[in-house]
This record gives sequence, structure tokens and C-alpha cells, in this order.
Amino acid sequence: MAQRGITALALALAIASAGMARAQVMELAVDASPAGLDPHIITAFTSFQIVNGTIYEGLTQIDKDLRTTPALAQSWEISPDGRTYVFKLRPNATFHTGASVEAADVVASLNRVMSKDIASPLASRLAAVETTSARDATTVEVVLKEPSAPFLSALAGIAIVPRSFEANKDALQRQPVGTGPYKFKEWQPNGFILLEKHAGYWNADMPKLAGVKFNIVPESATRQAGLASGTYAALPNIDASTALQLKGRSNVKIAETLELAYSLVGMNAAKPPFDNPKVREALNYALNRTEIIQAALFGAGGPAGPLSPALKDWAVDMKEFPCYAHSATKARDLLKAAGVATPLEVTVLVLPRQDIKDIAQVVQAQLNAAGFKVELKFPELGQFIQDWRNSNFTAFVSTNAGSTDPDDYFYRTFRSGGSTNVFKYANPQLDQLLDDARRELDTGKRRTAYNKAQSILACEGPIAHVAYGQLFTAMRANVQGFDILANRSLTALGRVSLAK
Amino acid sequence: MTISAALPRLHRRFQAAGFRSRRRSFLASRLFDVGVVLLGVSFLVFLMIRLIPGDAVAIMLGANAEVTPERIAEITTRLGLDQPIFVQYWRWLGGALTGDLGVSLWTRRPVVDEILGHMGPTLLLAALALVVGVGLAVPLGVVMAKLRGRGWDVALRIGSVIGLTIPSFWFGIMLIFVAAAVAPDAQLLGYESFLADPLANLTRLLLPAFALALPILANLARLLRSAMLDALQQDYIRTARAKGASETSILFKHALRNALIPFVTSVGIMTGYLLSGAIVVEQVFAIPGVGRLILGAIAERNYPLLQGAILVVTAMFVLVNLAVDLLYAAIDPRVRR
Repeated sequence: MAQRGITALALALAIASAGMARAQVMELAVDASPAGLDPHIITAFTSFQIVNGTIYEGLTQIDKDLRTTPALAQSWEISPDGRTYVFKLRPNATFHTGASVEAADVVASLNRVMSKDIASPLASRLAAVETTSARDATTVEVVLKEPSAPFLSALAGIAIVPRSFEANKDALQRQPVGTGPYKFKEWQPNGFILLEKHAGYWNADMPKLAGVKFNIVPESATRQAGLASGTYAALPNIDASTALQLKGRSNVKIAETLELAYSLVGMNAAKPPFDNPKVREALNYALNRTEIIQAALFGAGGPAGPLSPALKDWAVDMKEFPCYAHSATKARDLLKAAGVATPLEVTVLVLPRQDIKDIAQVVQAQLNAAGFKVELKFPELGQFIQDWRNSNFTAFVSTNAGSTDPDDYFYRTFRSGGSTNVFKYANPQLDQLLDDARRELDTGKRRTAYNKAQSILACEGPIAHVAYGQLFTAMRANVQGFDILANRSLTALGRVSLAK
Repeated sequence: MTISAALPRLHRRFQAAGFRSRRRSFLASRLFDVGVVLLGVSFLVFLMIRLIPGDAVAIMLGANAEVTPERIAEITTRLGLDQPIFVQYWRWLGGALTGDLGVSLWTRRPVVDEILGHMGPTLLLAALALVVGVGLAVPLGVVMAKLRGRGWDVALRIGSVIGLTIPSFWFGIMLIFVAAAVAPDAQLLGYESFLADPLANLTRLLLPAFALALPILANLARLLRSAMLDALQQDYIRTARAKGASETSILFKHALRNALIPFVTSVGIMTGYLLSGAIVVEQVFAIPGVGRLILGAIAERNYPLLQGAILVVTAMFVLVNLAVDLLYAAIDPRVRR
């Protein structure tokens, strides 16, 4: 009897302590499992959003206004020729192991990304780097082959890890070690990822929470009901229809911001009929972007050109692009001028995602009304990715992530031979503009070059930008300080707190 | 029902190999069947996942990533995916026979650990669903038999047909919506580990267990109803009535006892089906069990993980069937012939 009493008491204490621990940990629900947690190897967004700015940090970081600010590097100096960067590290920064962050760790991390052996997808961001060296324990010198305007913002995406991991391909995927405000605690695959407070974080004011738990909940209805009942404190990056359903619920608030990611119609510039710039222009005239946003995106988001309006310093107003004014007649005229037979038959691949399928159907109707005859194909995701990568398409409807620096987005996407130029687009004039802008450190001159690049790309580029989406995050009313970043990053979790 | 029915020739050849005792031969041939089924399933799964378009590396690296051909080649070689499929299968089989199911392509953890880590929630969910299904099927079956032809019987029979035909994913989502509307503050969603918080674990498993149990409940209730009606027709019931036994005693003591024999056999078989039903229910309710492991592995083309998980689930299914067969054989010697 006494033993039973003790067991009951122990059980009650265990339940109570579990309850207390939960109160300090913010529970989020995300829709998919991460593919791994090594910041230099992961490519999936599900992984990125969990580790970026929470577990890992770079020398620099991107703030709410998408500007580059200091992170692990307290300050830096750039030589007059724009080739030598000297970074001063924060003296009190530590890894989750407790070891200090030293210049040798930074050098090892940059080398790790550049090494052929690791084959990091981030390597192209450091393409300009010639040498890296540690001047002393807290000073890093990086010499570039030529001046590189996007170098500082690129560094925000390069996590600094302990030097012992330089040649290790597997360990960080499962057991990440970084310098961020949260350290890795537990990963139950398909269940959750639990991060706990990094007590020795260099910014003593952060983090405010005892931990963050990313629950992996694939079913949207379950996520919504979980938020409504308070099981989850926040649902980051939800779509417009989910946001609409949650709007107006007591205890739930919706934060929104215009995002960098956008929906698009991609065209193969190396294959007929889209090898003809007039046909690409015709497709742009045929689209009624406002109608697409109303019909397929619940009115959330806005039409825009090659750069998101969220990039206030760079984006050109879409009104300056003549082909963005919808005109089926103009589209037909251009097709006639291009010398193609109408109706022009085109097969369009569609990314298997509901909002993209919805967009594709409206696009189909609009193109059909302007001289095209569109057949939509809905391949399975793996097949879509393979066709996309191999440029095995005439056209497709999909979504793209954008970037905080125009160079990072334009160069890989549109430059001849660019790593994601699956459109096989080649325009010497644009190549020249992108090369010049990359080497130019004067912001005014860079802007002039990118303005020209945008006007070329808007009408005859291989991508018809359809809409920049509105990014929604739903959270309980007691969540404070959860800023929504246009690049979908959850770095704000370091500053979040929960009111009682 | 038995596996041997599908493999008569192998079965006969195996039996001819010189097992003297019938009972031993029966057990041995059933175990042989289990081995053949597992081998066949493992090969089919191996082949089928590779027939789905889109390869593991393409999905791993995503559509919007900056991916160099070198990186694709590096990963493909590292994972051994550049080898011919039969070489891959042979390697995998060799490992599997020694208990090594390889490592998950994504997390790089041993597949055995991944499966063991996901087994607890699935077994708990299946057990709870079994309790709910059987616990409700017995009274419903008895009530239906007792009220045969009357309004309640008809309503319950219609209800059981609906229960059998409703897809569990749809029913699960409806349960979530209803629960969120009726009791918005009740903590009924999200999975909590049994070890961390047993009470929360069980309350949060209730809705999914009910969704999973529904078709089984409907099936078992109908089965018990007809078994009860059969039993109630028998002579011994008439004798009991003639001897003045009460209706309750006739229903529960005489009829239900006899009706439970086919019922118990079915419960055994249904247990196997619970495992496959759990795949969908786990996805809907975000329970980190083997079902979600399998769905995730399909989406990721995580070949070793999928092969391992399917092998383990198949083994469980087959072993439950084997146990039922053996039980049956123990009860009815005719089965052993």
C-alpha cells in the first residue's frame, strides 16, 4: 500500500515537473521533417528554418529590414581596393560545447564550405574568396580574388562551426554544434526537434525562453486545432488559406509581411517556342497577375517584377515594366510577330503543391485566351525536381525563394551558366551588367546596373514573375517579439518571449 | 487466410524433406513460409520504390538549391546508389540477415534505431485502438443480436456499414475539427511521450485510437452479432431456456461464450490490420510512429529506411498471423492436416 502511494506521488511529481518544463519551452508546429542539420550541407528549407539563427550563426546576419548587420563578427574593415576583409570576433562568443569561438574556427568553417570533399551547396557564395587566415585568436583575414559586393550578406548564411568538424560530413547532420542562442537537445525523427537555451550566449539578453520545440505536424487541420487549443504557441510560415481560417479566433494573432519568395512561370529559353524573346514577352502580356492573386492566393500577395518589393533598396516598381499591363491582344500580336502558329501548344509542368496548382489553372485559362493552348502536367515531386534540374521542360509553374542580395539571386538564376539557370538563358548584355555589379562596391552604381538588369529580365527574361506572396505566421496572443522576416528565417526566436 | 495456401508447392516439398512429427512439421513449415514472405516482400519493396520516378539524391537536394553535379555524384557514390540494383539488394540482404538494416539516408542513423525509436507510439496506438474496438464491439454486437430486426439493430447495422466504409484519414480530420469546436481548450492534440507524461500520452492518443478502431469496431460488432444469432439458434440455448435460465444468463453465459470463439480469432487477424491502418492515422494526428516513418521514407526516397520499416511491419503482421494459425491449430487439430 505504502509502495503504491510512493509510486503515485512520484508519478504526480513527474507529471507536474514535465508541466513546468513545458511552460518555458515554446512549442511550434512545422509541416515537414528536416533532412539533416548540418548548416553547410542542408538544402531543404525545412532544415534551414530550424537551424538558421537559432543553433547556428554566421559572421554577419540579416536583420528585419533585410540589411546586413554584425553577428559573430563585432566589426570589420575593408581595404581600399575592396579585396581584403579583416573581421574582429566577439571576445565572449562561445560554442555550445563551452569552447570560445576563435579565428581558427572561422577559417575552418569557411574552408569547410569551400572544400570539394564536403561539396557544400553554399560553396558558390564564397567563390570570390582567395585566402582565409587567422591573424590572432580573434581576428580573421579574408582576401578576395576581386571585389565582391554581396560578400558580407553571403557570410550571414555561412554558419561558424567548431574547427574539429572541418572534414566531418556526418556528425553535424545529427548533432549540430553552433554558437547561436539555442543549442540542440533532442531530435525525435518525425516527432520533434527540441532546442534548449544556450546559457553562455554572447548576448546576455538572449534567449528569453528555456527552449524551443519544433513539432513536426504534417496535417494542416491538426496544426490549426493545436494552435487554437494552445498546444502550439505558433505556426510559422503558413499559407493564406490557413491564415484566413485562423483569423478572428480569440487568443490567436496573425503576423504578416511581404516575402522574397514568389510564384513564377519558368520558360526554357533554349527550346522552341520560348527561345524566341517575343514569345516570352507575349506570355508576360497574357498574364493578369492581379486576377491570379485574387483567384488563387486569396488576395494575399502582390504582383511585382524580378525583385520583391520587400527589397526596398533594390526593387524597381512593376509599373515601369510595360509587359506587366495585361493585354491579350498585345500577346496575340507578339505571337504573330514571332511567326509562330496559333494557338501555340505548350506543355507546362506544375509543382505538386496546392497553391501552385491553383495558380497554374488560372495561368492556363489566361494563356489560352491569348493565343496559347496550354496542357498542364502534374508530375510527382521527385520527377518535377529531376525534370527541373535537367532542364527537361518547355515551361513550368513553380515557386522560388529569392534572396536578400540581388547578386545572390540574379547571378545563379540568370547569368549564362549560372548554377540554377535551368532555363538555359544566355544574354551577354545581362551577363556584363551582373559581372560589373558584383565587383562594384558603390551602392548607387550597383543600383543603376540592377535597375537595367530588372528591365531586361521583366519582359524577355526566362521567368514571368507572377506574385510575391504574403508571408503569414499564426501565434497565440501571449507570444511577444516574434518578428516575421521576409526570407522566412526564424532568427527572431532568439528574442521571443511568452507573456504569462 | 493461411500463408501456406498461397505456397502449396514449396510447402509440400518442404514437408517431404523429412519431418516426422506432424506438429513440428506444421510449425517448421509455417516458419519457412514466414521467411519466404519476408524475402519476397523485401525484394518487392526494394524494386518498387526504385520504380517511382525521382531519385533520393534529387529529393534530398531539393528544387531550389544550388546544387553542383559534383555534389550529386558525390552523394550518389557515398550512398552506394551508383551500383546496379541487384548488387544493392544483395548488399542490403547480407546486412539484413545479420540484423544490420543500414543507415537512414537523411539522418545517417542506423535504420534499426530509427524503427525502434518509432515503434513505441505505434504499439501504444494499436493497443489502445484494440481496447477501444473490442471494448465497444462486444456490447454493440450483443445489443444488435438481442434487438435483432428492431430499430436499434437496424440503426447500428447501418452505422457499422458506414464505419466500415469511411476512410480513416477523413474520419480523423473530422474528429479533429469536432474536438477543436467542442472542446477548444482540451489538450487532445499533439503527441506526448508516455515516459514523459503518461496521462497526456493517453488523452492525446484517444482521438487517433478511435479513428483507427472504427473500421475494426464495425467489423467485429457485425461479426459478433451474427455469431450470437448463430449461437442463439442452437439446441443448448433451447435447453437452457427450458431449464428456466434468465435472459441475461442465456445471452452472456451461454450464447456470448460460444460466439466469442470466432470473434477472438478475428481479433487476432485485425491486430495485423491495425498496423497498416496506423500509417494514415499517424500522419493525420502527427504521431511519430512507424507509419509516419514509412510515409516520410517514401516521400524522401529513403530506400534503406523504407525497406527496413516495411520488413519489420511485415514481420509483425506475419507473426501475428502465425500466432493465430498456431492457436487455431491448437484448438482444432483438423487444421494441422
